[in-house]
Amino acid sequence: MPNVRIPTPLRKYTQGREEVTVEGETVAGVLDGLEQSYPGIKERICDEAGKVRRFVNVFVGEDDIRFLDNLGTAVKASDEISIVPAIAGG
Amino acid sequence: MAGGRFLVLGAGGLGCPALLGLVGSGATRIGVVDCDVVDATNLHRQVLYDLGDVGAPKVEAAARRLRACAPDLEVEPIPLRLDERTLSSLLAAQAPGTVVLECSDQPDLKFLTHDLCGEHRLDLVIGGVQRWGGQAMAVRHGAGACFRCVFEAAPPAELAPSCAAVGVQGAAAGALGFMMAHLAVALDAGADVAGTLVALDLRELRPQQIRPARRAGCPGCDPQVSRPVRGPLGPACSSAACST
Repeated sequence: MPNVRIPTPLRKYTQGREEVTVEGETVAGVLDGLEQSYPGIKERICDEAGKVRRFVNVFVGEDDIRFLDNLGTAVKASDEISIVPAIAGG
Repeated sequence: MAGGRFLVLGAGGLGCPALLGLVGSGATRIGVVDCDVVDATNLHRQVLYDLGDVGAPKVEAAARRLRACAPDLEVEPIPLRLDERTLSSLLAAQAPGTVVLECSDQPDLKFLTHDLCGEHRLDLVIGGVQRWGGQAMAVRHGAGACFRCVFEAAPPAELAPSCAAVGVQGAAAGALGFMMAHLAVALDAGADVAGTLVALDLRELRPQQIRPARRAGCPGCDPQVSRPVRGPLGPACSSAACST
C-alpha cells in the first residue's frame, strides 16, 4: 500500500502518526482511504468541491500532482505521498 | 559571502536563530524588523533574549545582542508594524542584493512579502514553524519556482491551527531559523538553491527537500498573469503578538 507522510498540523487526526499506509490506486483514492481510516482529515486537505486546497500541495514521490494528473494521478504500492501545507507560524 | 546584506522580518522564534546564523556566517549588514516587546513566555525559543530583556522592544534587544557577538556588524533595529504600505517602502529602500528573510508568524504577511520582493527584485527566504516542524523556501524571482508556485494562497485562519493553540518547540524554531539563514547566505553567494523548499520535522528526523517546477499561470511569477489581489492582512498565527 502507498505510504502517506502526514504533516504536523494534521497528525491530530492520525493519533500522532507521522506516516500511514492507505489503499488506493490514485491520489483521490488514497485521500478517500485516509478519510475512512482517519475521519475529518480529508476536509483539511480538500475543499467542498473536492479540489486540493490552495494552501496545500500533494506530491507523489518528488512530483507535484498538479503537474501530473492532479487527484487522478496513479499511485503504486511502493509510492510515497507527501501532503505539504503552508506552515503559518514564525 | 557576497554582499552580506540581509533584512529579517520578525525577531521571534525563527528570526532569533536566523539572525545568529547570519552573524555567524559573516553578514556585514542586517536590518531587524519587529514591533513587539520581549515577553517571558518567548524565551524558550527566542534565543537572543533573556529575562533582563523582558518588556524591551525586540529589535533593540536583538541589536544589542548581535553587536555583542559581532562588533563590526552594522545592525539597524526597525520597530515597524508591517502592512503593504510600510513593507513596500522598506523594501524599496533596500540596497540591491539584500536578501530578505520572512520570519513573521502572519500567514498573509508571508505571501505579501513574497509578492513585494518580486516587485522589488529582492531574493527571499520564507519560513514557517509550528509544533515540531516547519519549512523554509529560497526564492529568486525568475529562477526556479516561487512560493506561489507551491502554495497558491495563505491558509485561512479557521483552517490554520494557531501557534498559541498548538505551540512551537524551541528546537524546531532553532533548526528552521538556522536553515533559513543557510538558504539566505546561499542565495547571497549565488548558490543554486532558488526554488528549493526544505521541510523538517524533528520528531521524524527526516528532512524533505522539494524542488518543484515553475507553475504556468502562477500569479506570483508568470508575467502573463495578473498579480494576486491584496486585501488587509489577517491575524498572526499567535493570538496577540505581531511575532512569536
